Amino acid sequence: MRGGDGSGGLRAWIVRCCQLVTGAIFALAALSKLGDLHSFAAEIHNFRIVPIATENLLAITLPWIELVAALALLLGIRARAGAVLASWLLVAFTVAVASAVARGLDFECGCFGTADGAHVGTRKLVENLAMTLFAVVGALRRR
Amino acid sequence: MDRAQRDERDRILRDVVAITMLGIALGVVYNWRGLDGRPPWGLSWIAEDRGSGLAALDALDGASADPMALVDGASGGVPEIPALDRPVEAGLLQVKRLHDAGTALFVDAREADEYAAGHIAGAINLPFDRASADPELLAALDDAGGPIVTYCGGGACELSLNLAWELVHAGQPRVLVYLGGYPEWEAAGYPTAVGEPPPGATR
Repeated sequence: MRGGDGSGGLRAWIVRCCQLVTGAIFALAALSKLGDLHSFAAEIHNFRIVPIATENLLAITLPWIELVAALALLLGIRARAGAVLASWLLVAFTVAVASAVARGLDFECGCFGTADGAHVGTRKLVENLAMTLFAVVGALRRR
Repeated sequence: MDRAQRDERDRILRDVVAITMLGIALGVVYNWRGLDGRPPWGLSWIAEDRGSGLAALDALDGASADPMALVDGASGGVPEIPALDRPVEAGLLQVKRLHDAGTALFVDAREADEYAAGHIAGAINLPFDRASADPELLAALDDAGGPIVTYCGGGACELSLNLAWELVHAGQPRVLVYLGGYPEWEAAGYPTAVGEPPPGATR
């Protein structure tokens, strides 16, 4: 089904590059969140989207899901599945940020932990859409 | 879509589920005891965290003939609550003193039907779920410069606690949380009222 490296030519190369970029972004996002889960939980609360009783669980598991998906993308093991999962997650994140912006909320999004200090806003939306594009291309067949 | 494509799609979806489950498993195992010792589900970390962050002005309860002594200002028995960056926990007697003084805004954090069935006389209704979804309601609350007292159903009810923290974060300086709640107030025979909140429920 899937040819070896190089057999798909340019297309395979582009898809692989998008997988690596998406994987690197997700690894960075996951590691920065794992460094401070407590802040991440607080930021989940700021979105006011998920029920309060599940905020803790989400804070604990989401970074690990991101990390496993990142490893799949970076190592090229089940890379397409990793890219599909990444694109779904990014769509969900984009919807969350968009709804926060629509409700006039302003807070650190916690997308990459607290290190970057980015707030939710149109800039974050554009970033998310660009990352979604990478993930979707990474989920394509390689030839 | 031919058969091979369908098979591949199914395989990818299976892998997506496998990656998700592996991530959840790793997260739960790694944080087996929850976040900072708080359980991963059930009670929210916020409610627990918030409970421990309260200023406790009722430390005097039972130890003093006048539990309001600590918060009474020099202004002839009218309770004065200091401006703090956290909610203040208040007991029944303190809350009654505030109610008698008439300077505090009482906020019922329960749902509208519970409020309608009985509430502290003069209280307005601001369900926590609604306030949480619309933070502007909190900042717009007209407290006439006095303290705000939140309460709910007592016991395990966390609505008043959560609402109190939301109010503090919305910039309200004097927020009290009455953990005894409506059941304790009613049992003490203090003034209650029934009925729907007036239109424009935030007074």
